[in-house]
Amino acid sequence: MVPIVKISNLDKYFGHLHVLKNITLEIPQRQVVCLIGRSGSGKSTLLRCINFLEEPSHGSIEVDGVKVEGGEKGAQHRQLVHDVRLKTGMVFQEFNLFPHMSVLENVIEGPVIVKGMDRKKAIELAEQNLDSVGLLFKKDEYPMRLSGGQKQRVAIARALTMEPRVMLFDEPTSALDPELIGEVMNVMKKIAKEGMTMVVVTHEMGFAKDVADRVLVMAEGELIEDAKPADLFSNPKDPRTKALIDRYRNDDN
Amino acid sequence: MSLFSNKDSDAPKSQAELLFEAQKRKERLFRTNVAITWGILLFFLVYLFSGPIDVDTQFIRDNMLFIAGGLGETIRISILSIIFATLLALFAALGRLSTIPPIYALSTFYVSLIRGTPLYLQIMFFFLALPQVGIRLPGLWAGVIALGLNYGAYMSEIFRAGLASVGKGQREAAMALGMTPTQTLKRIILPQALRFAIPPTGNEFIAMTKDSALVSATGFVHELMWRSVKVGRAQFHNLEALIMAAIFYWVMTIILSYLQNILETRLAKGDR
Repeated sequence: MVPIVKISNLDKYFGHLHVLKNITLEIPQRQVVCLIGRSGSGKSTLLRCINFLEEPSHGSIEVDGVKVEGGEKGAQHRQLVHDVRLKTGMVFQEFNLFPHMSVLENVIEGPVIVKGMDRKKAIELAEQNLDSVGLLFKKDEYPMRLSGGQKQRVAIARALTMEPRVMLFDEPTSALDPELIGEVMNVMKKIAKEGMTMVVVTHEMGFAKDVADRVLVMAEGELIEDAKPADLFSNPKDPRTKALIDRYRNDDN
Repeated sequence: MSLFSNKDSDAPKSQAELLFEAQKRKERLFRTNVAITWGILLFFLVYLFSGPIDVDTQFIRDNMLFIAGGLGETIRISILSIIFATLLALFAALGRLSTIPPIYALSTFYVSLIRGTPLYLQIMFFFLALPQVGIRLPGLWAGVIALGLNYGAYMSEIFRAGLASVGKGQREAAMALGMTPTQTLKRIILPQALRFAIPPTGNEFIAMTKDSALVSATGFVHELMWRSVKVGRAQFHNLEALIMAAIFYWVMTIILSYLQNILETRLAKGDR
């Protein structure tokens, strides 16, 4: 199968700190990948390198045929980064909805301003996606009046309305009260079922077990394990993976 | 919805309701006392100038219209200056956030120079010093430029705080959607920063209506202050003339503060 995301020999430095060490990775279309690891392992940085919210120091990122070399500058590079961003949708831990816009305005902002989509068509598409996350009835509300779970579902609808090829989730439930995690997880499951390629940085082992096709484990800036969830949870190879899984098990009890 | 709105009038009041009402009564009493004291102070002031201090009411009647005629000019110069100042402040604040050294330097240089010299000197500079090198600006515009430059420097702090109030996540969300830096600034950052900056800008405007009086010293702009000094000096009735100007400024400030309050409540109630 042709990979839709291809990461080759990726390095990222923050000053002298080497946070991503020679990462190479291919993600086939329609795959749901969970990225797990302790905090500081580099999992969020890797995710943010895919759409260049972090500029990689070396190596390349390829998304749906658009290949960008890290560490470059100039107009051509900016154009390529822009193209990659159009192919990826991103959901943040802190939602990052635009507080001065209504729910609907949040969702159509990207298509209308960035893609130059006809407003009517954008609204139609936005309403479909809001309906699909169960929040069409909130379209005229402002983000301030939504719960955390609702905000995150709007953020998902906003990303989907750009019609991306890959969805990136950066700890999408970490800022939520426990009772609100379920509604966001359910929406993510639904998107996965519809065939979206997803890369999810998460601490939700339940989601990794039930929904992911593949789990990647990171430690100290390296990919230390890459396995199907069933294998990974029953038979972790690296002792660090085992320690990580045990820790989550203890948290659950 | 609220705890207190749908109470049954016959039902005994709960502890919370009683406490709430006691609190309300206390607040009302406080406001009443403040209002009464204001009244006494105002009455005393009026009394002072109607008996113990002799004012020429005939002079006041004769010159009322002439001095009031300066109101329009005062308002005009204030509005033009605040617009100019707001634009300058916005650019200075953006420059202050720039990572390009010359732009950052230009912004900090401007703010330092203006804040390091008196407003009165700056006004005089535009009216008296520039003509010496052959630059002659119309009176009103020299005043607007001087006031605008001065207030712009101070107001750049307000806009900087406004821009800083918009979190990093907002920029990232816009970038992830594929917005260019210009689109991000225009659509996401500025609308939020400006909403933050509107109330303090209103305060600056109120301050400016009063500082516009300094422009009178040049003699070229015939606003409130200039007119009151002119008639006061000519007829040796400075007391009456200045009292009239003071009343005009004061009433204008009270009205503007009132409008400012309405604006602030509206913004607070808004969508954020």
